[in-house]
Amino acid sequence: MNKIKNTFISIVMLFPVLMFAQQTIKGKVTDKVTNAELPSVNVVVKGTTNGTVTDFDGLFQINSVAIGDILVFTSIGYVDFEIAITSFSDLNVQMTESAESLDEVIVIGYGSTTKQDATGAVDLLKAEDFNKGAVVSADQLLAGKIAGVRITTSGGSPDAAPNIRIRGGASLNANNSPLIVIDGIPIDNTNPAGVSNPLSLINPNDIESFSILKDASSTAIYGSRASNGVIIITTKRGTTGEAQYNLSTSVSISNVDEKIDLMDGPTFTRFIQEYHPTFEGALGIEDPNGGGRILSNTDWQDAIFRTAVSSSVNFSARTNIGGKMPFRASVGYNKSEGIIERSDYERLSFSFKLTPTFFDDHLKVDMNIKGLVTDKNAIDEGGALGGAVNMDPTKPIYDDSPDNRFGGYFQNTVIDGNNLRLDGQWNPVALLKQRKRPELAYKLLANAEFDYKMHFLPELRAVVNVGTEASQAKIIETFSDNSLATYNFDTNNNDINSNFLFNPGENYRENQHITNTTLDAYLVYTKALDGLIKKFDIQGGYSYQNFKNDGTKMEYRYNEVSGLRELVIDPANINNRYFNELNLQSYFGRTNLNIDDKYLITVSMRADASSLFSEKNRWGYFPAAAVAWKINEYDFLNDSNVINELKVRLGWGKTGQQDITGAVGFYPSSPLFEVGSSTSQYLEGVALYSAKPFNGDLTWEKTQTYNAGIDFNFFKNNLISGSFDIFYRETTDLLARVPVAPGQGLTDSFVSNVGETESKGFELSTTFRPINSQDVQLEFYANTAYSRAEVTSLKDVSRISADGSGIPTGTGVNIGYHVIGNQPYSAWVFRQLYDTSGNPIHGAFADFNGDGTVNNDDRYYRPLRPNWTFGYGFNFSYKNFDLSSSFRGQIGGQVYNARRLTSGWVDKAIPNNSNSLSNVLDFYNGAANFNFIDINGNVPFSDYFLEDASFIRCENIAVSYNFNNLIKDAKLRVSGAVNNAFIITNYSGQDPENFNAIDNNFYPRPRSFTIGLNLDF
Amino acid sequence: MKRTIKIFFSIFLLTVVSCSDDLNTKPLVELTLEELLANDPNAVEGILSRLYASFALSGPDGPGSSDISDDPGESPFLRGIVNLQDFTADAMKNRWGDDGLDQLTTTSNWDENNKFFRYLYNRIYYTIPQANNLLAVLSNVDVANKEQIISEVRFIRSLAYYYLIDAFGKGVLVTEENIGASAPLPESTRTELFNFVESELLAIKSTLPDINSYGRATKSAGRMLLGKLYINAEVYTGTARYDEALANTKELIDLGGYTLAPDFVSLFSADNNTSNEIIFPLIADSQNSQSFGNTTYIINGNLSTETMTLSDYGATEGWGGHRATKAWYGLYGDLNTSTDVRASLFWTTDHNFEMTDYKQWTDGYPSIKFRNSNADGSATPTSFSSTDFPLFRLADAYLMYAECLVRGASGGSLSDALDYVNDIRTRADADAIQISQSELTLAFILDERARELNLEGHRRSDLIRFGKFTGGSYLWPWKGNTVNGAAIPDYYNLFPIPLQALEANPNLNQNTGYNLN
Repeated sequence: MNKIKNTFISIVMLFPVLMFAQQTIKGKVTDKVTNAELPSVNVVVKGTTNGTVTDFDGLFQINSVAIGDILVFTSIGYVDFEIAITSFSDLNVQMTESAESLDEVIVIGYGSTTKQDATGAVDLLKAEDFNKGAVVSADQLLAGKIAGVRITTSGGSPDAAPNIRIRGGASLNANNSPLIVIDGIPIDNTNPAGVSNPLSLINPNDIESFSILKDASSTAIYGSRASNGVIIITTKRGTTGEAQYNLSTSVSISNVDEKIDLMDGPTFTRFIQEYHPTFEGALGIEDPNGGGRILSNTDWQDAIFRTAVSSSVNFSARTNIGGKMPFRASVGYNKSEGIIERSDYERLSFSFKLTPTFFDDHLKVDMNIKGLVTDKNAIDEGGALGGAVNMDPTKPIYDDSPDNRFGGYFQNTVIDGNNLRLDGQWNPVALLKQRKRPELAYKLLANAEFDYKMHFLPELRAVVNVGTEASQAKIIETFSDNSLATYNFDTNNNDINSNFLFNPGENYRENQHITNTTLDAYLVYTKALDGLIKKFDIQGGYSYQNFKNDGTKMEYRYNEVSGLRELVIDPANINNRYFNELNLQSYFGRTNLNIDDKYLITVSMRADASSLFSEKNRWGYFPAAAVAWKINEYDFLNDSNVINELKVRLGWGKTGQQDITGAVGFYPSSPLFEVGSSTSQYLEGVALYSAKPFNGDLTWEKTQTYNAGIDFNFFKNNLISGSFDIFYRETTDLLARVPVAPGQGLTDSFVSNVGETESKGFELSTTFRPINSQDVQLEFYANTAYSRAEVTSLKDVSRISADGSGIPTGTGVNIGYHVIGNQPYSAWVFRQLYDTSGNPIHGAFADFNGDGTVNNDDRYYRPLRPNWTFGYGFNFSYKNFDLSSSFRGQIGGQVYNARRLTSGWVDKAIPNNSNSLSNVLDFYNGAANFNFIDINGNVPFSDYFLEDASFIRCENIAVSYNFNNLIKDAKLRVSGAVNNAFIITNYSGQDPENFNAIDNNFYPRPRSFTIGLNLDF
Repeated sequence: MKRTIKIFFSIFLLTVVSCSDDLNTKPLVELTLEELLANDPNAVEGILSRLYASFALSGPDGPGSSDISDDPGESPFLRGIVNLQDFTADAMKNRWGDDGLDQLTTTSNWDENNKFFRYLYNRIYYTIPQANNLLAVLSNVDVANKEQIISEVRFIRSLAYYYLIDAFGKGVLVTEENIGASAPLPESTRTELFNFVESELLAIKSTLPDINSYGRATKSAGRMLLGKLYINAEVYTGTARYDEALANTKELIDLGGYTLAPDFVSLFSADNNTSNEIIFPLIADSQNSQSFGNTTYIINGNLSTETMTLSDYGATEGWGGHRATKAWYGLYGDLNTSTDVRASLFWTTDHNFEMTDYKQWTDGYPSIKFRNSNADGSATPTSFSSTDFPLFRLADAYLMYAECLVRGASGGSLSDALDYVNDIRTRADADAIQISQSELTLAFILDERARELNLEGHRRSDLIRFGKFTGGSYLWPWKGNTVNGAAIPDYYNLFPIPLQALEANPNLNQNTGYNLN
């Protein structure tokens, strides 16, 4: 009864309101993409002063509104939003982030700044701009997006290592990879055993943004490891409002795009008949019914490739525990198949991030725990890819004859006395399928940052960030029964039909623990002032990094008498242990000065010590300074509709490089002895000790960079924005592996501080936004970069051969050289001569100096790395529909088509020290030239093998559609993408994009089609 | 609150202070010299073992590891000796067609880019500084037998320099005196290097031990090396020193301790470590001392399943690479009727006498002189060889003795020389076993050296000493890259200095001829 009465009264009370159609409306404003509640959004009834601001949870309430009124929502960093009131039910407003915001926070070393206050060459890439589609690792999010950042994967395997070069890299042999910092923790350069890609160790779905620091004034604060730029990864945070959940899943299908142009069975038969008729009897297999040969037509590439299916599921929850502690947790699972059989990769990852504040926001804590498990089945890539190229196409894959020993796989064999031995190329399909090599890695990355604002002096903050990066890796290689690789003989048995045996089971084992600890502690004093100097801050601190890698291996061999596998025991190092430790310690300071909001000045200094150098050479000092001039802050431009931002930056800085561990290990400066293994003993009864080479004079490589840049943003709605930077860089005391003057070191080549390089270049990136409304947005972006380096000094020598440029004619034959006066990593080649019909003449080269003979004096240099790189693309959205595509590529650069060297000569087909034939490139369709009988002498150094590596690759095309009301309070996005859609190039081989520019046994980059679902609720 | 701050700063300072020592990272697997000496009472012998091993092994961590930046399989010292002394000469040819090796086999198109020259050069200059390093260590360490060990190290270093003198003719002279010199050192001439090695070997003549454990240098090994240096002195320095060559060879023979092995084949079998003829071996062991560059290269390289049975020779791999030519096996006359044991050490079944195409496995006869089976024929087939390489053996000393006398050296007896040569021929059951004094000519000695010593790493030096290597006076199959042989230029008496060395030390100059071709 009471209830009815109350209702009645309510209706009566409401009546006048309805009559005048004046009411209160409530609602909530959220981010369209992230669903985060947006506080401080201005909500105004259009044409009135009636308005309010959203609260902390994005909620608002406006009184005295009527049907037909228009509400205008504005917020910095978001596109203005208008909506007409059609009813008084709660409004759910979703705002779109504007593509560019000057207030965006950019994380830099030991602090953060905003886009408009940055003084260095710093780029920011946020989640919405990441590459889309089949993405397994973080580097794929970034490829082609940032000017001057060249990311070249080593191939198409799911764990392919990316080679990342910012501005081309400064060093010759020292590590040229940028420093990677995740949530403030600098990551180790050494991967856990079995992991190739360090960036696969973070779930791409957890990443909020990348900051890329390119010039020395911004990187110098990271000192010791920052010569090649810094990539700072910031992960997603919890929410301050209501709990939100995200579930996303995707499935993709990948295929090989381009195969190597080899002969098929009939063509190969014709080739052998025409060019090697005496070997015709080696084609195919013997007909068991007597008589001739059975010729198969096997495409061995098809035999090892497959259509790969990959999938991923990610779930994340963002909440605010007790209203005090924003918290995010995520779990992700990714299962990727490579396009080569058995090339499988699985990753399970989780992350927690807790960002509470205490003592009235005086103490801010940022705690992160990220964990993951990766399980990769490592295949013998070289064996499988090389095997598929070499294997005779007239041979079958399988052999169902009753006396087959190898699990049904065909294999060339030869009878030797009373043994049936393997002969020639091993069946690549059997190689793949008979081996398992799970490479399992557990990794934990945890850190806690305490940022404490002093109670008695709020201008002073103390920041401590402690972190640990721990991983455990385990590799176990096993073979199945009847596997070729474990085929052996019992020498006590003379019966050819029964004296063989297989050794299924474990063949190799490795366990490894990596324990890295980092600590940063610094004090920051920040003071806002009146007068000319608006603000200044000064900070100083200490950084400690320790990297420890400790592992053991179990190695086996076959007993020469019994044929049984047995453990190799090395008494001097029973566990085959390895132990590597690197310690880096630094002191750093920085001050920022803001003069009249127009001039920003940054000065920093860092002192670094590395354990790789002896005590006297250990410390390096790395200063930097930068100034920025914000032209748009002048009063006369304040109201300009043309210039939103115009800033000029100048910077200078010095950075250091010490990472030569890849070339000479972790103890390169002190004399040490190595114990010989059990198979490397000599005099009976004494252990064998080798004096290891070392160089006690090693010290820091130093790079000085000058940078000038402009940041601009013109016209309404950020129509055109971008930045332009030019730089000049000189590196001295280059750390490089050089030949030791004969006899003057303990081996023939070692690392030393040898020389100098100079490089210069520029980067331009622009964004053009012709349409930027609530419903329709269209954005084009493009970036391009040019960099050119030159070797200016190499101390005592004029030329050193370049690591990584080995061509497949034997170990230590390099085509690449670092030469004074030339670009680093240039090929040193002869000019091939061609006959009148355009065919290369075997072994004939131009006599450049005209002295009548052709020798090394007639070779010339051709740079292998490209000077120009670019990326471009567009994003289009109409209401709930999005379409985007991105492209990237390079202009110039060369690739050495080593496939022609391994398989492009006539005599390659006939056996060398076996009785089996090898397949070759298809001479008949021009994939190789008949004039190349062999590749002896100087033939491998011919420029015939070099080809232009320019290309444009369509990295992805992606579409998506948002269903906002399909499910209550939830948003569903359906997306589809194709990755590596196509490539435009003149290269005649498989893929011109090759970091070392030597195209051999390349794991092809697949083309992938992906369908994804993303649910926010 | 101030307390909190204090605690914070205290922790901070403590951390910084306690961490600064972490910069002195300590390896746990590799050892410092002090640790090594403390851990192992035989540490110095372990380093010495390593120096001896530098002639046979590729690296410290199995046959896949390399002490130098070159390929562990192709680059070992002994493989270099066989490639550069035997494949460049008349006896042995390789059919693989591998770039670099092919040019050695056909004595043509030699240049500084050929990696096979670099391999030997880099191995020589691996052994020398390692020896210098041990000499420097020994000057600060007390160890039993120190004087003997020092003389062994100096022997090893001299042996490495000997190959530098013989193969490349010049190079940097680096000793324990100039360890740590970083500026490129000057180039020394062949004569300067000769004088250094001579003085070294003279200095250790009395300190090398009479007998030593297997594989280590003795007084006899020292005299043998000195003898080889002197017998080639005219080639190396322009001044003949046959008297000294004879004197040292005679001393060696007179010292005794070595006798001709009754069974020639036993010298090249897996159990040849028991032989009483070998003065200085390079050790191989299928289990503990594995290398693709010791006798494994010779044995597996001369085998192929195409025509042979690997297990007959204790092998499991036939690399189908090497065959002798008629320039070697033609020296025994008709192989079918010859009684000479040495004539039986060729595989002729399904092979052609003539090497019409050196890339054809069946052209030419593989040498089965070296094998991984025991002298009695028993064998356990293994992929690596256990046969030691007889770098110096008594028969070689006998022939050197005879050669010096025929060349007119004084201080020996011609009848002794004749006896020595006849001892060798008797051991081999050679046809017309006994030769007379008039038959003991230089031409006979050169041929007898081929019959006795081919494939043992001496042939090219012998041909040069007899003036037969370059030019057109003596042709063998595939000399100068033609089937019947062609003249090659005189500058081929030395190998080119590898490009890497020229680039690393600007004081080094290319050998005459190679900078002009």
